[in-house]
Formats: sequence, structure tokens, C-alpha cells
Amino acid sequence: MSSVPASAFLALALILFCIGLYGALTKRNTVIVLISIELMLNAVNINLVTFSKYGMAPSITGQIFALFAISVAAAEAAVGLAILIALYRTKKTVNIDEMDTMKN
Amino acid sequence: MENAWLIPLFPLISFLILLLFGKRLKEASAYVGILLTLASLIYSILVLFERFSEPTYVTKFDWLTIGDFHLTAGFEVNQLNALMLFIVSLVSFLVHTYSKGYMHGDERFHVFYAYLGLFTFAMLGLVISPNLLQTYIFWELVGVGSFLLIGFYFYKEEAKAAAKKAFIMTRIGDVGLFIGMALLFWQTKSFEYSDIFAAVDAGQVSGTMITLTAILIFIGAVGKSGQFPLHTWLPDAMEGPTPVSALIHAATMVAAGVYLVASLFPLFSASHTALMTVAVIGGFTAIFAASIGLVQTDIKRVLAYSTVSQLGYMMLALGSAGYVAGVFHLMTHAFFKALLFLAAGSVIHAVHTQDIEEMGGLWKKLKLTGPLFLIGTLAISGVPLLSGFFSKDEILAAAWEGGHPVLFVLALVAAFFTAFYMFRLFFMVFTGEARGNQKHVHESPSVMTFPMIILGVLAVVAGYVNTPWFGTFLGDWLVDGNEALAAHGHHEGPVWIMILATVVSLLGIYLAWLIYGKRSVSRNWLSGSGDMLHTVLLNKYYVDEFYQLTIVAITKGISYFLRFIDTFLVEGIVKGITGFVQGLGATGSKMQSGQVQTYGAVAFIGLALLAVIYALTGGYLR
Amino acid sequence: MTFSGEFLAFMGLALVAIIGGVLLLNLTRVVHMVVALIFTFVAIAGIYVLLSAEFVAAVQILIYSGAITIIMLFGIMLTRHNDESESKAGKWRKFLLFLGILGFAIAVYLGIYNFNIDQVPTTLHENNTMQIGQALYSKHIIPFELVSVLLLVALVGSIVLAKKEDKEADKE
Repeated sequence: MSSVPASAFLALALILFCIGLYGALTKRNTVIVLISIELMLNAVNINLVTFSKYGMAPSITGQIFALFAISVAAAEAAVGLAILIALYRTKKTVNIDEMDTMKN
Repeated sequence: MENAWLIPLFPLISFLILLLFGKRLKEASAYVGILLTLASLIYSILVLFERFSEPTYVTKFDWLTIGDFHLTAGFEVNQLNALMLFIVSLVSFLVHTYSKGYMHGDERFHVFYAYLGLFTFAMLGLVISPNLLQTYIFWELVGVGSFLLIGFYFYKEEAKAAAKKAFIMTRIGDVGLFIGMALLFWQTKSFEYSDIFAAVDAGQVSGTMITLTAILIFIGAVGKSGQFPLHTWLPDAMEGPTPVSALIHAATMVAAGVYLVASLFPLFSASHTALMTVAVIGGFTAIFAASIGLVQTDIKRVLAYSTVSQLGYMMLALGSAGYVAGVFHLMTHAFFKALLFLAAGSVIHAVHTQDIEEMGGLWKKLKLTGPLFLIGTLAISGVPLLSGFFSKDEILAAAWEGGHPVLFVLALVAAFFTAFYMFRLFFMVFTGEARGNQKHVHESPSVMTFPMIILGVLAVVAGYVNTPWFGTFLGDWLVDGNEALAAHGHHEGPVWIMILATVVSLLGIYLAWLIYGKRSVSRNWLSGSGDMLHTVLLNKYYVDEFYQLTIVAITKGISYFLRFIDTFLVEGIVKGITGFVQGLGATGSKMQSGQVQTYGAVAFIGLALLAVIYALTGGYLR
Repeated sequence: MTFSGEFLAFMGLALVAIIGGVLLLNLTRVVHMVVALIFTFVAIAGIYVLLSAEFVAAVQILIYSGAITIIMLFGIMLTRHNDESESKAGKWRKFLLFLGILGFAIAVYLGIYNFNIDQVPTTLHENNTMQIGQALYSKHIIPFELVSVLLLVALVGSIVLAKKEDKEADKE
């Protein structure tokens, strides 16, 4: 059997998730914020795949779920970037702290 | 008679039409008003004649139903109502006609007619109301109409103040009326006149309560009819256009108080104290106002004080249980006082001043107004064969029969005063040489003289409906079929009263003639002998000043105190609260930076806190 | 725990992934950050291989290391990319956030550090791609089709959003 415990994979996923979270909440460039969110999604995927192998009832479904997550993430990245470009055209900036239209 | 409710509707239609299309109609508004009030008048005459032969007609429908209680609305045509309908619509029609000449050229001509329509509607509605509540509603509407008309020249400060004063003073009375009404309702569970009278007859209401409610309702009448001590608004109300004075402050609205007491007469007659109060207030007002009228120099003010005095007379009559006398005088007074006001308006129209010191010698210049004014003056002075003579005689007889010798003397003195100041007015205005600037004096147009002629005729003949010589038709008719009133019908006074009254008024006229006509007695004869008295009279017994110093000052003091509380205490608390909320809001809105990251951070920190707390306190670790 | 090859591989890949993440946070230039993240993504692909998910690993490299990173680089190039990517937000916020994340991490770690369930032998590594294909086209056919719709919508949506507005296009 595997010599690496499931908790190690989970811990790795946790660390990557926290890094992504910190980046998403502190970085100023919107592109980096988007990438950080991708990182968080990846951490989730690691969890899914881990449980597909080490779960109570291991099955292929975990991997399939990860695949769906990846495709949704890809779509999200594309749309997010399109929005970013549209925003950049009107506001001439990609800095997230200058986008405060919600205030008004 | 079934359609008597149409009568008040005509002026209402006039009001509505003028309100909507007045600007376009301009001076043609007059025709709308005149035609519709003419319709009212014709209808009222028909109703009056119908009423001679038919019994009282009452119709009601449920207006509101609260539990078992039905609040009704409707109308009633009894003798008094029919008579009032006739008087009001007649005077209103004549004033409408007269105003066409008097108000000619005024910018707000149509507004004036609209207001006249509203007022006439309210007044006609008032006199056919079958219950107290409806009466009260129209009573207030009448007040509004009068407020609008007195303040018609609202750009004049005095007119504005007078309108406010009239409204507030009558309002004081209205509060009394309202409380009285509420008490009556509490006692009898009904607003209907008939139910109230029945309850009073059956002794359901205690004597004290009757007295209390009667006096409270009388306070309402005091306010409306300008009785002492709420009389001060009436002379000030002369700031309104003169036709208004004729309509409101001679014939109709001020008579509403008398009408109210008359229509509730069974209630009053059930309490000796209430009747006594009415009589005393009336008698005092009669002589009080008459004495002020002696020295006033404004033609309309003299007439106003004369009105107050005459209304006092009517109250005195009612208070002395002379129901017929009071109503009779109400009718004759409406005619001759309206005549006097219209004639005075004609004089003012001609010389453009109201100060009688600046008039004089107008007899030759105003060929029609002069004689008509003289008729009015003779009538009000109680010279035999004119209407005022009969009604005044009736009142004096009632006072004497009622067993109030003091009030009788008061009334007699008031009659003397009345004769004196009215002829003083007449001589100052129409005889002697012209004082003041009178270059363009001309007789008024026929549209103004026509109503005066009609009123002049009525002022002469109206008295003959109830005379000791040709039968007491009016008196018999008024109390016909009403047992409560039958006892207070016509009083056959001793002949000496009639002679005495005649002598007194002739004496007054003679004295006036001596001083102001022949000038064989110095004008200062009166003022010279009592300089103090003259000043006091000229200042209307300082009643206004007294009110200013006491009630107004106290009210102002309280108001200032309350304003102080309001600005510093209430507003302080309010400001504290609003400041706190505003600060909270400001902090909150500062946090609403609109930056997604901040929001996300805050939300996540919250989540993290929850997770940590969960981890520390157990949860899934156990 | 033995120092087997699998363990060593895991440690190496995990280290690369974490270093990539830390570099993402600490580098100053935006392009460098994205490049650092490519390492993370590739390392995560390796982790997938360790977890007997070869197909997912391939997809990871194709989509993340390939497509998404390239899209992001395009995004950076289309916008001003040489701005410093440091938030102006106060140090207080960063500190608080750091504390919060630390607390969160510890709380979650408490939950997983001794997570151990009986391992069941699996056949995931045998014909992995075939298994995924069979599952996708039988059991998960509806979500699969829905994902295709989603991708289409995302495609159309991004084109509409990124396209210049007609008025602007007319002006130019």
C-alpha cells in the first residue's frame, strides 16, 4: 500500500488553499487575484482526487468531479479575464482597489 | 319640499364652476353666481310657501353605522328652516347682484364669486341640517367661507389679521359647541334634534347637564354671533369687501348663532339658568356694543357694532323666552342691516373712504342711496311703521314679560343708543357740507341700487307679518304644531312699552339731530363732559388690548416657553439620536468602501473566527 | 513511515508546489508571479499521478499549465502589467488577514492531521483513462453535456464582454 498517508495530501491542499486565499485577498493586480483563485480551486481538486483514492469508498467519481471542476475553472478564468478587459477599457486600470463602483 | 336639498346645491355648483372655469369666465362669473343663487332663491320661496300649508318635512338616510348606532344625514324643512332658507338665499342673491357692480374691475373677481358660492352653500346647508353633527360640519364650513371672504384682500395686513382673528375667535366658540355637542351625544345617544328634545322632555338628562350643554352650545353661538366677550372679531372683519359684510356679518353667518340657539330652543328652555345666561349676555352685549358704536368714525365699524348690538338684542329675546321675538328680529334685522351695509358700500364706492369725518353733504349727490340709507336707519332705530319697530317692540315686550326689568331697561337704553348713533351716522354722512375730497362722487350703477331697493322695500314691509295690529301671522306660524315653542310664542306686550320704545328712539334721533344735524349742541358736549368715557369708548373698552395683555400674552409666554423646550430639550434629544444614528451610518458607509477585497477579507475573517471557535470548543474534534 | 520512492516523490512535488505558491505571494513583477505558479500547477499534476489519476494529471498540465496560464499572460500583456502588485491596503488588514488564515489553517489542520481511514485497494491505476471515459459516458452523461453547454456560454460570454463596443469601434 501507499506509504504516504492521506493526511499529507490533505495538508498540502490546505497549505495551497491558504496561499491562494491570502493572495486573492491582498494582491492588487486583478490578474493575480484571478490566478490565486485558480490556485484555491486546484487545492480543492487535490482533495477530490485524494478522496477518490483514500476515501471510505474509493471510486473514479472523485476524479471525474475534479475534471468538472477544472472545466468550470477554465470557463471562469476566461469569463473573468473578459470582464477584466472590459473593465480595463473603461477604467484604464486593473487595480482592484480602484474598482469601487459598488460604493455608489 | 322633498327637493329642498337642492337649494344649497345651486351655490355649490356655482362654486365648483367658478373654481374650474373662473379664470376663463372673468367678469361673466357674476352671471353664473347670480343665476344659480336666483335658482336657490326661487326654490326657497317655493319651499317657504309650501311650508305654509304642509307639515314639517324631514328625510334622513344612514350615513355611518357603528355597532347599533346609526349616524344619519339628511335635511329638515320646518318653519324656522324654511324662513332661514328664504332669508339667506334672498340676501345672498341680492349680494351676488350687488357685487357685480361693487367688485367691478377687481382682478380676482371670479374668486370672489367662487367664495360667495361656497359660503352660501355652507350657510344654506347649515339651516336645513336635521342633526347637530351636520350642523357642526356646515357651521365650520361657514367659518371657512367667512375666513376666505374677510381675508379676500389678503395683501392688506389688516385684512389678513382680521381674517385670522375672525377664524380664531369663532373657533374658541366652536370648541364650546363641540364639547356641548359631545356631552349631549353622551347623554342622549343621538345627534338628532328631535331625539335630543324628546330625551330632554322625558327627563333623561339631568338638569345640571342640560344647563351645562346649553351654555356650552351657547358659547359656540357667542363666537359666531359676535357676542361679548368674543365680539372683537366682528368689527375687524369689516376689512373684507362691503358686500361680504352685508352677507356674512349682517344677515347670515352672525345670525347662525341666533339660529342655533333658536333651533335648540327646547333645550335652552328646559334650563332656567341657561336662558338667563343667554339673556344676560345678549342684553349686556346689546348695550355694550351700542355704546362703542356711539363714537366710532368708520362707517362700517359703526354698522358692525350696531350688528353686534342687534345680535345681542336677539339673544336677549331668546333668553327671555321670546322665541318668536328673536327669530322675528333676526329676519327684519337681516333685511335692514343688509340694506344699511349695501348702502354704506354704495357710499364708500362713491367717495372712496370709510371715514365719516371725510363725508358729509352726500344727500344731494347720492339721490338713491341717501333715501335708502335713511329707510334702513329709521328701521333699525325702531321708528314706528317700519319693520324694526315691530320686532324691537316684540323683544322689549318679551324682556318685560320674561320678568327681567333690568334687562328691559338695558334694552331700552340700547335702543336709545342705537337710534342716536345711527342718526349720527346718517347726519354725518348725508347732511351738512362736504368735508374731505369729494370730486367724483356719483351714484352707483343700477346693478347695485336694485338690490338696495328690494331690501329697502322689505325693510319697510317685513315687519307687517307680525304686528299687534294686523295679526301675528309669523309668530303663530313659527310655533304652529310645536308644543315646546307654543308657550314662547307671540307676546302681547302692554301698549305703554310700544309708546315708551317709540319715545326713546325718537329722543335718540332728536338728540342726534341737535348735535349733528342742527348743530345747536356742540359735538363735544358728550366727549367734553366725559373725556375719559369718550376715550374708553373710542378704544372699544380696551377689550382688544385686554385680550392682548392677558390671553394673547399668556399664550405667547407659554408658546415661548414651549418653543424653548422644543428647541433645547426635545430637539436636543432628537439631535442626539439623529447624531448617533448619523455617526453610526457614517462609520458604516465608510466601511462600505466598495472594494471587493475588503468585503472578502472581512467575510473570511468572520469565517475563520467561527472555525477557530468551533475547533477550540470541540465540535468535530470530540 | 518509510522513505520509499513514493514518499520522496511526494515530498519533492509538495515542496515545489509550496515554493511556487510562496513565490506567487512574494515576487513583485506580475509575469514572474504567473511563471512561479506554473511550477505549482505542474507539481500538482505530479501529485495527481501519485494519486493514480493519470488522466487528471494530463488534463491539469493541459488546462492549467497550458491554457489558463497563457490566458492570464495574455491578460497581463493586454493590460498594464508593470505596475507593482502590492495592495495599498493597510498593514493592519494584512496582519489581521494573516492571523485569520493562520487560525483557519490550524483549525482545519486539527481536523485532518490524524485523519486515517482504512485504505482499500483500488484499481484506479489500471486503464485509468478508460474508466473515466466509461463513467463519463454512462453515469455522468448529463453533467458532461451540461459542462459543454457551460463552456459554450462562457465562450460566447467572454467574446461579448471583451469585444469593443460598437460605438467605440465606429469611432476608431
